[in-house]
Amino acid sequence: MGSRGRPPRPAAPRPPALPALLPVLAALAAGAAEARATSEGQLPGAAAMGTGTPPSPSGTAFEETRLHVFTLDYPHVQIPFEITLWILLASLAKIGFHLYHKLPSIVPESCLLILVGLLLGGIIFGAEEKSPPVMNSDVFFLYLLPPIVLDAGYFMPTRLFFENFGTIFWYAVVGTLWNAIGIGISLYGICQISAFGLTDITLLQNLLFGSLISAVDPVAVLAVFENIHVNEQLYILVFGESLLNDAITVVLYNLFKSFCQMRTIKVIDIFAGIANFFIVGIGGVLIGILLGFVAAFTTRFTHKIRVIEPLFVFLYSYLSYITAEMFHLSGIMAITACAMTMNKYVEENVSQKSYTTIKYFMKMLSSVSETLIFIFMGVSTVGKNHEWNWAFVSFTLLFCLIWRALGVFVLTQIINVFRTIPLTFKDQFIIAYGGLRGAICFSLVFLLPPAVFPRKKLFITAVIVVIFFTVFIQGITIRPLVEFLDVKRSNKKQPAVSEEIYNRFFDHVKTGIEDVCGHWGHNFWRDKFKKFDNKYLRRLLIRENQPKSSIVSLYKKLEIKHAIEMAESGMISKVPSSVSLSDYHEGKIKPLSPTEMENMREILTKNLYQIRHRTMSYNRHSLAADAGEKQAKEILIRRRHSLRESLRKTNSLSRERPVLAVSAAFF
Amino acid sequence: GCPQGPRPVTSVLALAVTSEQIEHLHRRFKQLSQDQLTIRKENFDSIPDLEFNPIRGKIVHAFFDKRNLRQESDGLADEINFEDFLTIMSYFRPIEMNMDEEQLDRFRKEKLKFLFHMYDSDHDGKITLQEYRNVVEELLSGNPHLEKESARSIADGAMMEAASICVGQMGPDQVYEGITFEDFLKMWQGIDIETKMHVRFLNVDTIAHCY
Repeated sequence: MGSRGRPPRPAAPRPPALPALLPVLAALAAGAAEARATSEGQLPGAAAMGTGTPPSPSGTAFEETRLHVFTLDYPHVQIPFEITLWILLASLAKIGFHLYHKLPSIVPESCLLILVGLLLGGIIFGAEEKSPPVMNSDVFFLYLLPPIVLDAGYFMPTRLFFENFGTIFWYAVVGTLWNAIGIGISLYGICQISAFGLTDITLLQNLLFGSLISAVDPVAVLAVFENIHVNEQLYILVFGESLLNDAITVVLYNLFKSFCQMRTIKVIDIFAGIANFFIVGIGGVLIGILLGFVAAFTTRFTHKIRVIEPLFVFLYSYLSYITAEMFHLSGIMAITACAMTMNKYVEENVSQKSYTTIKYFMKMLSSVSETLIFIFMGVSTVGKNHEWNWAFVSFTLLFCLIWRALGVFVLTQIINVFRTIPLTFKDQFIIAYGGLRGAICFSLVFLLPPAVFPRKKLFITAVIVVIFFTVFIQGITIRPLVEFLDVKRSNKKQPAVSEEIYNRFFDHVKTGIEDVCGHWGHNFWRDKFKKFDNKYLRRLLIRENQPKSSIVSLYKKLEIKHAIEMAESGMISKVPSSVSLSDYHEGKIKPLSPTEMENMREILTKNLYQIRHRTMSYNRHSLAADAGEKQAKEILIRRRHSLRESLRKTNSLSRERPVLAVSAAFF
Repeated sequence: GCPQGPRPVTSVLALAVTSEQIEHLHRRFKQLSQDQLTIRKENFDSIPDLEFNPIRGKIVHAFFDKRNLRQESDGLADEINFEDFLTIMSYFRPIEMNMDEEQLDRFRKEKLKFLFHMYDSDHDGKITLQEYRNVVEELLSGNPHLEKESARSIADGAMMEAASICVGQMGPDQVYEGITFEDFLKMWQGIDIETKMHVRFLNVDTIAHCY
């Protein structure tokens, strides 16, 4: 999800892209609409531009057709053509937004995309006089949603997630139940007031509506929270909740939908509902974990055919999703569990290139999906399936906000007793405010069977209003609110080896003290899992299994990264002689006392920076006698400089910076 | 020796731990000491899970470190009584909701001081390169495949990072002696140690006893 945060270079000439883009988009959309319209009206294969007579239906023998010089056969390619146009459109819109670099920081992308969708929907509606049937609920659930959840699950910070698992689970299950039932019952109360003209909506229908609108949406949360950079703890709470509540949403939705269609409801049905919840949740997770292990196992053997390694990651995760959907289990939980399981083991089995491919492809897919979802939401809004009722719509919105706030507040008071780090009021406010609704409730409402729900259009309108309110108003205002409330932000520093050492040291201290006290805390379970993992799982699933320490892997990663950065920025091949010169002028720089430096030199020249050794040959000619000593010092200096640079580095991704800064230091 | 601030009274600390927790810890103390009044280093050998902890030595050492026990003198005590045990445990007490800024700051410093003492084994108030190497080697000691050289180079790299953070741009004749407590504070700035360094004394399972 990081690709969207990239600030473009502050180049002066900025073409007025957005206004220019709109006619292009309009043309694309109109073209698609018109092509569809014309194709529906004509016989396939024949064109107005062709010479020769159109073939007669009976195909009499002697009425030959002449050769067509040029034909237009739209229906043949209709479906792929339209899909491509839509995706192209989404991507062009994204480019457009980022050309105005201030825009994404004020308005989240999701809002802009919905606006584009609305515009397009308006154009298509104007051209065809009927609602564009683009967002099919099946298309959404089967094709558009999985990539986003996969991307989120694969890059989820697992440690933080499991540390907060209890809280996340509590909010997701109990919170969603609370919201669903609360909204349902209060809306029913409103419907009873005959002045509003809503008395034909039954309690069950209200409860169903409550259950589908109370689900916090992962897509919307990701889209909005991505830009505001709150601290990881808050982010994981809201996002984790949006993922886990899928289980309960699926259950409640199906439950109430069946209840609406059943004549009598027995107590046994309610128990069946509760049992269904456990099956849906646990079943989904089990499928995900199982397929995750299979994927990890498969990648153990792919070292001869590296090219298709990324494919396995995607195939297995998608398989877990649709298998879960097949059994009406929670697909989101399945794919999340699969991604989290796979991540650890696959990362060690696949090559560096495959890993990069997986990362980028996943991000690309999820980015496209998200864009399409928001555009389609905008497009589908325009149309004739609306019924406006002031009371219902406004009370729905009101109750959504009230129940969410109440729910978060009450639940937090209870869960704070069990947490080591209690959640403050600020945290609670952000959690409540960040409960955005999005495409999932949108699609769920379209799936309602109109026979059972005569007021379906009313529901659709209400859902759309709530979604627009949360995405626009809450999405736009959350950033200034976060700044106003001075919520702790995430500090994205470079991962440092010393930090990793401290963290590990600290974990061991805490585990040790817990053992001394005789107390089983989180650390105990984590330790136990690690031992099990090392003993059995890693041996089975990883090809070259060497017990690895996270400190060592991080250190190695950083070393490689430094070496690559230096090679890329041209430091190594460009500046050898000037370095040796400046060495004389700068004098001796001793970061540590002399004896220690001796040792470090030894180690560094021996273990690290094979790349440097190769280019050191340049230096031999320009260096004075003491080649070894100078070499080593030079390495030290470079390393120090690069370390300082990397420590000073903010999150910008521009590559030009290292050369400028470092060579400036040398001259 | 290391610079000392005004010493809080031990009894005030003990009050911060509730009576229920004190009772539980007392039971635990009796188990460890085998009903004696004091514990020695050998008593810690009877905790089975502690064996697998790579920095076991340092943890046990921390219990006997006189600086942690708030005694004026330096060095290691031979044995500790229950009050000392409580003193050590109080470093891990949870944060209280009604603490103000100054109290929070002192709270945090205490906890970080405890950790600092674990790194600084020769009690000179600085973490030198050799001590840091020692720490990293112990941390990685559970991994048989790792050479000593790698551990040393990791420690060296980390030390250089520390130097960069703490001293920044170094002059031509500056020598970096080691990480002092102030530097140590700087490095832990981003991390909420006061909330993480906390063991919940509730819900203790008495299955985890020593034989």
